[in-house]
Amino acid sequence: MLQYILPATGLLFTLENILWINIGVFVGSVFAAIPGLSVILCVILFLPVTYTMTAIPGMMFLLGIYCAGGYGGSVSAILINTPGTPHAAATMLDGHPLSRQGRTKAALKIALYASTFGGIFSALMLLFLGPQVAKVAAQLGTAEYFMVCVFGLTIIAGVSGKSIIRGLVSACLGLLISCIGTDPMTSYDRFTFGIPRLYLGLDLAVCLIGLFALVEILAKAEKSLGELHLDTTKIKDDGKITRQEYKRMARPVLMSSIIGVLVGIIPGTGASEASWFSYNTAKNLSKHPEEFGNGSVEGIAAAESANNAVTGATLIPLLTLGIPGDGTVAIMLSALMINGLNPGLSLFTTDGDIMYAIMLGLILVNLFMFIQGKFLTTLFAKVVSIPQEILTPIIVIFCFAGAYSVNENYFDVAVALVFGALAWILRKLELPPVPILLGLVLGRMTETNFRRALLISNGDPSIFLQSIYCKIFLALIIIAVAAIIRGKLKEQKAAKAAAVQKESN
Amino acid sequence: MKHWVSQFNARMDRWGERLSQKELRIPVDLTVGILFFLFALAILLVMPQQVAISEKDAVNGRAFPTLLMVVMMICCVMLVGKELYKIVTKQPLNWKTINLQTELKALVILAILVVTYLLCRFTDLFVVGAVFCCLGFLVYFRCKKPSYYVITITIAVVIWAAFRFALHVEF
Repeated sequence: MLQYILPATGLLFTLENILWINIGVFVGSVFAAIPGLSVILCVILFLPVTYTMTAIPGMMFLLGIYCAGGYGGSVSAILINTPGTPHAAATMLDGHPLSRQGRTKAALKIALYASTFGGIFSALMLLFLGPQVAKVAAQLGTAEYFMVCVFGLTIIAGVSGKSIIRGLVSACLGLLISCIGTDPMTSYDRFTFGIPRLYLGLDLAVCLIGLFALVEILAKAEKSLGELHLDTTKIKDDGKITRQEYKRMARPVLMSSIIGVLVGIIPGTGASEASWFSYNTAKNLSKHPEEFGNGSVEGIAAAESANNAVTGATLIPLLTLGIPGDGTVAIMLSALMINGLNPGLSLFTTDGDIMYAIMLGLILVNLFMFIQGKFLTTLFAKVVSIPQEILTPIIVIFCFAGAYSVNENYFDVAVALVFGALAWILRKLELPPVPILLGLVLGRMTETNFRRALLISNGDPSIFLQSIYCKIFLALIIIAVAAIIRGKLKEQKAAKAAAVQKESN
Repeated sequence: MKHWVSQFNARMDRWGERLSQKELRIPVDLTVGILFFLFALAILLVMPQQVAISEKDAVNGRAFPTLLMVVMMICCVMLVGKELYKIVTKQPLNWKTINLQTELKALVILAILVVTYLLCRFTDLFVVGAVFCCLGFLVYFRCKKPSYYVITITIAVVIWAAFRFALHVEF
């Protein structure tokens, strides 16, 4: 590891990288602060910008957006009781009450400090755990890789919607879409329906612009403009945090950072799950549980450190196995692969200097997030009130320009539009879009490993159950599915009990 | 002009109010089950025409999509089976309410997006579509502030210029 650190620092500390980190952090904070705009949307919109860059500045820019998005969501959650991003919902429970007590600046400061700690902790975990996991990944063969893909897809299908079956339908749809174009092994064309342009397949970024960005534009039909107008509370307090409050924050921050890392490593789970889990754990372990929900500093610190501790951890399965920890990092995979960097052990050996520069860069991203948060939070807060009339067409123009710029072809813009309309229909049918995204990302890898394994075994499917790793992953799939089904049944039971209680009242 | 606009808006409001009361309820799981079962079946049927294979291939290009469609069909059967069981045992189904006003508004937004795309494509000038997009959405939101029109169109032109001259995208 040490032999890569020195060249990596040389590659990282350039003016270009520092500039792109700061642009990313700024853009990410602004996007996440605006309710209705998500971090995933921001990464999708700006992904085409990275196509002209080399790997390090491109990844630094996207990681800047990703990490700052974790903190930015808390700004609107604290100020206007509306989480800018879904994972800031737990922060809102105590952040806004603390703001109402006249301590807005203090609440924002706690969120920033906790986010920075969580982010740096997670980046260090990536730095130390990443290469070790990659060594294990290097021992996996084609059958094992197929099982890893199935494992990732199953968990994502299970946790991203209300029903695991509907999630699996979505995942199959995503995998099928990834089959469009040239067969990766024989070069015959598939599902092109006589459209010559489809021989090249569908570009991931273009599909995602439709699935995640344009669908949000169509969703404006669901809200009246009155609901979308927002006002910010003026930040007037001195933002002072007492020594005792710092002491009280220490334990939940450390514990939530560990929880965030553990949750982040599991594919399919993300910042939302981590922040809620950490929030509940902090509440159960606190000496002042009665303060939770009424402006507890521990509550804000726990939720914020957890959702930022996910950022580095989600990159561990991505960089080592090619399995994204969550939807946002799935998009980053294409930014890596466009520069010829493929996940696996080679990323930590052959391209070690670049990889270590990216991992060290994640620490730098968190430091710049802290600096920008310290001096620009008031500006981020003002951004919350940008009118939707202005914001909506601007997002559309970014979507269209992004889709076009991938191949400089209007065909891609049409594809994005089709995917936008498709996503709208799927939303009406309550089919989650995240498994489709994972299907698109993992499609080629899943199919190639599936077919190669069957070729090795002369078509005998028992190859997927032979090795110890296959058995481990099969056991993990069964345990995960059982846990997901148990969780869903519990949720249904609780909902039924709540409905019965409501009726009796 | 002002009178005509307010008359038009009032008419739209009346239509909107009438439409907002019209709702469509669909049994969502049953619909998904049937719809995607038919979709998977259709894909399996078109597979021989759409996926060419060689006789020499031990595992050909149809294997993976076929596996996917079979999994999808199994999932669909499970969804439909679950809903049929609910019907038999007289349990409430999973319903989704679709508001016609919302869907019509979504169609208007989609129309703005499609016209923007067509303008970009046929004029081969992205900036023309971008300006139309701004105007379309501002009119859709019934924006009466001239400053918003100026700001939005200026930002649209700046984005086009950034992509055209800084990122060297030819449009």
